[in-house]
Amino acid sequence: MNKLISEGSSAGASYVEVRYQNDYGVSVSMRNGRVIGVGSFKEEGIGVRVLVNGSLGFAATNDLSAESLRKTLEKAVSRARSVAPLRKNAIQFSEERVGRASYEVIPKTSLEEVSVEGLISLGKEVFDVLTKSVNQVKLPVCVFRAETHTQEKLIVTSEGAYVRSRIPRMYVSANLVLLHPQKGTLQRMKEFGSSGGGELLDAWRPVDVLAEEAKRLETVLVSGVEPPKEPVDVVVGSEIIGLLVHESAGHPMEADRILGREAAQAGESYVKQEMIGKFRIGNELATVIEDPTIPGSNGFYLYDDEGVPARPRYLYKEGVINEALHNRHTASIFGVKSNAAARAMNYASEPIIRMSNTYFKPGTMSFDELIEDINVGVFIKSYMEWNIDDVRWNQRYVGLEAYLIRDGELAEPVRNPVLEITTQGFYSNVVAVDRELKFYPGTCGKGEPSQGVPVWFGGPDVRIAKIRLGVVA
Amino acid sequence: MTDIIELGREVVSKLRSNYDDVAVLMRTRDRVMVKLWNTEPSVAQSWLTTDVALLLTKAKRVVILEFSVGRPEKVLKAVEKISSVVERIEESELYAPLPEPQEVKLVDESFDVNVINAMKDPSKLTKLMIEGALSEGAERVAGTLTLSSDEKVLVTSRGFENSERKTLIEAYLRAFKKEFSGHWAHGSTHVNEEEIKEVGKKAGKYASITNNKVDFQPGKYDVVLSPLVVGNLMNYVAFMSSALAVLMGYSMFMKFKPGDKVASEKLTLIDAPRDPALPNVASFDDEGVPTYNKPIIEEGIFRNLLHNSGTAAKLGVKSTGNAGWVMPNPWNLHIVPGDLREDELISELRNGVIITNNWYTRLQNYVEGSFSTVARDATLLVKNGEVTGSVGRVRIATSFPELLNSVEGLTKQTYDITWWEVRTPIRAPFVLARSINLTKPYI
Repeated sequence: MNKLISEGSSAGASYVEVRYQNDYGVSVSMRNGRVIGVGSFKEEGIGVRVLVNGSLGFAATNDLSAESLRKTLEKAVSRARSVAPLRKNAIQFSEERVGRASYEVIPKTSLEEVSVEGLISLGKEVFDVLTKSVNQVKLPVCVFRAETHTQEKLIVTSEGAYVRSRIPRMYVSANLVLLHPQKGTLQRMKEFGSSGGGELLDAWRPVDVLAEEAKRLETVLVSGVEPPKEPVDVVVGSEIIGLLVHESAGHPMEADRILGREAAQAGESYVKQEMIGKFRIGNELATVIEDPTIPGSNGFYLYDDEGVPARPRYLYKEGVINEALHNRHTASIFGVKSNAAARAMNYASEPIIRMSNTYFKPGTMSFDELIEDINVGVFIKSYMEWNIDDVRWNQRYVGLEAYLIRDGELAEPVRNPVLEITTQGFYSNVVAVDRELKFYPGTCGKGEPSQGVPVWFGGPDVRIAKIRLGVVA
Repeated sequence: MTDIIELGREVVSKLRSNYDDVAVLMRTRDRVMVKLWNTEPSVAQSWLTTDVALLLTKAKRVVILEFSVGRPEKVLKAVEKISSVVERIEESELYAPLPEPQEVKLVDESFDVNVINAMKDPSKLTKLMIEGALSEGAERVAGTLTLSSDEKVLVTSRGFENSERKTLIEAYLRAFKKEFSGHWAHGSTHVNEEEIKEVGKKAGKYASITNNKVDFQPGKYDVVLSPLVVGNLMNYVAFMSSALAVLMGYSMFMKFKPGDKVASEKLTLIDAPRDPALPNVASFDDEGVPTYNKPIIEEGIFRNLLHNSGTAAKLGVKSTGNAGWVMPNPWNLHIVPGDLREDELISELRNGVIITNNWYTRLQNYVEGSFSTVARDATLLVKNGEVTGSVGRVRIATSFPELLNSVEGLTKQTYDITWWEVRTPIRAPFVLARSINLTKPYI
């Protein structure tokens, strides 16, 4: 790798970054307690990024022979040089103190000890227990998937970065379809994901959690009523809050989106550079934090893929747009330091600005205190459908498990309530926040070619005032 | 190519004595992508990769190994590790023996040497696309140009051996003029400079079509959907037509059987692997079954689920040549065009909304097909057949059965679309649909 760095520099690159990345693991897919397939995957290769004449080039290969690596470097350099005349301004990187370090997540039970048979047994148990947990509805589909994933990286740059890391992760998901002959169907996809090892399967208790949820969803399907038509206080559950801050605080605060680099793909941002530190998007309860360093998190890392040390970032602070997510390129344009948001999905992906673990800052009250003075309201606990526009302003979340709140207590279930709201509309109407901070896993997609990276969405339960809910017919 | 087939043979011959079936699938890609940002390149990306996948079955147990490791021989080492697993797992619900080899007629004309030449210096085509947009009044553009040379080799223990190669070009551009924007896309196996320039021109035209923002109230509207929107939504319909999507609860077709009416009689959706112009052209599927074009929906009637050998065996039918070893997939899509010019379709719309692009389609329930998707770029209010202004980022909130049954008109001109939100290439016209629910937030 050091040889590539020196050859790239000799070829005229003012910056050379070489990343070896090796992603591998096993997966089990099951349907209704029966195995569909068992898989094993491995993606191992080198990605090279160069700055030549102010133009950025990236090339990747999985042929690790010396000749192939040399050709890969040549391609990165020559194609960056070929399109350089189309650039009006040279790309520059911010000055950074990059890391020389090695770190790894050490699980209690290594992924090598997680057996395929054990995962299959878990999938069977999930199906058996879930089938017995419901009695008024049928469970025509119960899809179970489990995956182990180890990610190893070594990043070396011409500016002295040398960062080696190893992060194991576990992932479990289920897709349930509940069927009632008169009431139709209800669908739920549930995921579990964290960095760590086999011990997570015990901590998550997926069999119990899924069975308890299936019972509650049965009630929603059989007895769910329409949400109130008039504006009411809405308590948005932590699962939706986590997704909502990811979509409406995390994405719009990615500096590459603010600058337009993703304009033709995932879009731009309602946030403009001059709004940072000034624009009020919500009230003083609205604080959103992005933190890659949370131990055990799905989006965990200590150095980003440019070798910059990670730290927590306050995206929105007490209602004000506070700090964007940066790599070294956008930091240079903004005149700030990088806050280590560059991540690459695999060896074949260029590092781009990504979230890690994004959460709404919790408050101090309990859930009971959050709802105790609501005469009529709705608590939306989980969702299936959601989306947001390409500047991260107009968003929609369709509730799955939801309940009426009557006289300060949870009452009958509500079916398919729709929360359709603007970013400012949400953060400005927060009236109370409980202390129940919970995290949920996800795979965030961005870039071209599209890169999916593991993240956590998090938050407490949040109450917003007088919102008119819609309903899916 | 011969070397790669030889490697495939070697892998199969080393493993066949230990397994009932062995298949080796190798894909080599030489690809370049220029990504544009504020009318200049943000990055030039290049890839030279070989991906190797291995299917092993024994006593109806199925294991699949997927490797992006450059050297196929590395796979053999990994097989040693996994071999003990095959003994310990259970029979797959979707096991079927690999099919006996059939004669495959390779699709001609899916390789264009001009793509290879353009890969050496992609700046010329990039400039064409940019100039097209600027010539229509755009102030800035973003987008990508991708050029690729792909080779696929399949060797199975049943004696199937074949390979095919193709080229592809994918171009899409988003043009901006003040707060308005337009977007267009093109995907093909062949370079056509006029088509590339047209991507820029159409994006620029839509960015410049109005400078007027108009009020919008949520409700039911007649809509014209551009080929980009049709492409995005039909990607979901085609995904749901995979037999595995039905078995796994990810399909509105769980509630229908072939022969049922699922759409307006104006709508025909075809899986078209043998269209040499569209980027996912394929002569044989991942099990070596010859591909063929087939309707998924024909004049409103649901005709075919897409199968591999495993799903076909499970449901008692024949493979449709759409393997995926686990998931049957659509290749390319066609929407059969109508008989209207674009201006005639707008006249037919009379009052309603033209949606030229969308993204972020998500479903509340695949079985019911209920979904929403968000409009982006030019979304235009039409009154008395005339565009009066932009309604901004509204949302389509409906269900696929409702949308498919609401199709009332199609243009005769079609466009070959592939882009970030249309991953399965499609040839599609503009489509008129009646009484579709559009929403927007109250606060």
